[in-house]
Amino acid sequence: MIDVQWYLLLSAGLFCIGLFGILTRRNALIFLMSVELMLNAANINLIAFSQHFGHVDGQVFALFGMALAAAEVAIGLGIILVLYRNFGDIDVTAPTTMRW
Amino acid sequence: MTGAFELVPAIAVLPLAAFVIALFAGKYMPKKGALAGIAATAGSLILSLWVALTVATGDGGYNNPDMYTFVEGLGGTVTLELGVLIDPLSALMLVIVSLISLLVHVFSLGYMNDEGETGLPRYYAGLGLFTFSMLAFVFASNLLMAFMFFELVGLCSYLLIGFWFREEGPPSAAKKAFLVTRFGDYFFLVGVVAIFAMFPAAAGRFAGDGSFPALAQAAIESGQTFYGFDAQTAILMAGLLVLGGVMGKSAQFPLHTWLPDAMEGPTPVSALIHAATMVAAGVFLVARMYGFYALSPTALGVIAFVGGFTALFAATMGVVKQELKQVLAYSTISQYGYMMLALGGGGYVAAVFHLTTHAVFKALLFLGAGSVIIAMHHNENMWDMGGLKDRMPVTYWTFLAGSLALAGIFPFAGFWSKDEVLFEVLIHGLGDSPLLLGGYAMGLLAVFFTGFYTFRMVFLTFHGEPRSDVAEDPEPVRWNVKGPLAVLGVLSVVLGAINMVPIKKLTGAKIDYLHQWLDKSPDAFLTSVHHYAGDHGLLHDYAGYTKGYLAGETGTVLIGAAVSLGLALAGVLLAYRLYNVPQPVEHTDRLGRAKTILMHNYYQDEYQVWLATGLTLPVAKAADTFDQGIVDGVVNGISSVSRFSGRGLRRIQTGVVSNYAALLTIGLVLLIAAFGLMGGWF
Repeated sequence: MIDVQWYLLLSAGLFCIGLFGILTRRNALIFLMSVELMLNAANINLIAFSQHFGHVDGQVFALFGMALAAAEVAIGLGIILVLYRNFGDIDVTAPTTMRW
Repeated sequence: MTGAFELVPAIAVLPLAAFVIALFAGKYMPKKGALAGIAATAGSLILSLWVALTVATGDGGYNNPDMYTFVEGLGGTVTLELGVLIDPLSALMLVIVSLISLLVHVFSLGYMNDEGETGLPRYYAGLGLFTFSMLAFVFASNLLMAFMFFELVGLCSYLLIGFWFREEGPPSAAKKAFLVTRFGDYFFLVGVVAIFAMFPAAAGRFAGDGSFPALAQAAIESGQTFYGFDAQTAILMAGLLVLGGVMGKSAQFPLHTWLPDAMEGPTPVSALIHAATMVAAGVFLVARMYGFYALSPTALGVIAFVGGFTALFAATMGVVKQELKQVLAYSTISQYGYMMLALGGGGYVAAVFHLTTHAVFKALLFLGAGSVIIAMHHNENMWDMGGLKDRMPVTYWTFLAGSLALAGIFPFAGFWSKDEVLFEVLIHGLGDSPLLLGGYAMGLLAVFFTGFYTFRMVFLTFHGEPRSDVAEDPEPVRWNVKGPLAVLGVLSVVLGAINMVPIKKLTGAKIDYLHQWLDKSPDAFLTSVHHYAGDHGLLHDYAGYTKGYLAGETGTVLIGAAVSLGLALAGVLLAYRLYNVPQPVEHTDRLGRAKTILMHNYYQDEYQVWLATGLTLPVAKAADTFDQGIVDGVVNGISSVSRFSGRGLRRIQTGVVSNYAALLTIGLVLLIAAFGLMGGWF
């Protein structure tokens, strides 16, 4: 058995990589991937604790998380398509029209 | 009991239906809505007569105060209702109002339709609504309902006085009438609220054990206090507040100024306003809640003095007027002053009697004036008339009958009622209330002026030589003018017979029919004459009114009648000497400066305008400055603070997604750090 803290370290690492991607990159596709990483970090957390406590609830939640991620990708790709159509680019700093 | 009393609401609803018909279908009808109005008021008159007959033969009244409840009061709060109260007083008034209204409708055929006026549907709609409001006011069973219809009467007078709205004068006169009476009504409204607040259980009802006069009497008996005032004072204040509305509507000093201007309206409307509806409403209201006023000798004294003063004051102004309707206007103010004097002086029956006779002879005089105005092609200046006696005999003789009644000449209707008014005030003044003698003196002096101005008007209009081409050859009038004049002319001669108190006192014959009629009110209603003025009535027990006589009762009757008749005759004779000549001149010029003052109505208008522009306007402007500067300034200041800070804060919304993500992250880190610090993780 691997102790639960190792899983947590893994998930924290994944989360930080995702966060780093969101804060530094400008490509919308990289954004999407980073969000995926952060979501999966959360899933790892859930499953780790599920195993640690011997409950299946966490695993069920992880399944929900995956479904959520799939839905999010569908919408995210749609947004990226619209972004490209309107601005000719998928740089997230380009569309600054939605402000005051 | 079924029958007449169940149909009382229909008396008012019929003219309301005429209003609707005239308004929406009037222009398609042959007489532009007049026929609907005539049919409706005739129906009201028949129903009113039936109701009066039922009162006479039955048990004397009908009280259904909660016919329709629109707000149900729970646990000691007030209930607001519409209801019907028929007692001899309201039954009599219903007959008067519907009779005068019917005659005015018929007369309008001659005055409006035959003269080719436009806008007639609006005119007849106004008359219908006016009649409806007044009739509903008359049978109102509680003070709030009375107030509602009182206001509606004011609205109708506004609409009708301003009927010729394309000219300059009428709209202004209409606004003046509306505003001046509304000024009084403001006090009335406060009075209504006061009475509802003082006696919530009474729900403002006029008659019966649970009515507010009865509860007020009980409050005085039990020494109850209202808001720190003892019952007497509270009743006095509430009574005076309601009196404000009465003084506005009944044109009592100082709120009389609207009435002479109201002559700008069509003459039949003037007849209706002066005889039966608007102006009568005020006096009727005092009579309606007499059980309340009779509890307060001070309120009665105020009523008597205001009435006596108004009677004299208006009569002096009538002396110098040059226009026919102006003279009549001031005589109306003066005569309503007499009614107030009678009510204040303890003469409840006398006041109702004078209200009745005045309704008849003043309607007659106005319709007669209307007939003259038709003949003179709408020239109202008496100095252009003269010699109309032979050219329009029906108008002359009926007008003369009305004038004799107005002047109070034996044996016309006005003599009996005015004499009774003065007699009642005199005997109560000679009793324990000597202050009333002041009111009596003013009323007595006004009799002389009344005789003078009335016959100055008659002689200038009808006697002498014609003073203009139109007066040489006046336009003839038709049956629809002569008919109402004849009806009212006969009534002005004989109506005094309903209450010949002096004859009763002299011979003992029981012919004081009006007294007996008003006394028929059921005891349970607490509105009968013996409840007010009996040996142990309210006036005796609460107002301290007792009777005193000069030379025995018979002597006082004779002396009072002789003095008032003598003064009236003196006035008539003076007018006869001065004005019954072929070419009369303006003798009033001899009055010198007094004439100027009288022509300017004692500068009443001027000072009221000054009150508005010199006093109220600066106050209003100061209030406006306060509102704009301080109140709005605070509100605007708060909004500019938030606008300014918003303008700065919105900069953080850059539109760049990465920045939002960074802010989110920073916020999360700060939150975790804060939780950590407070939770003691480190």
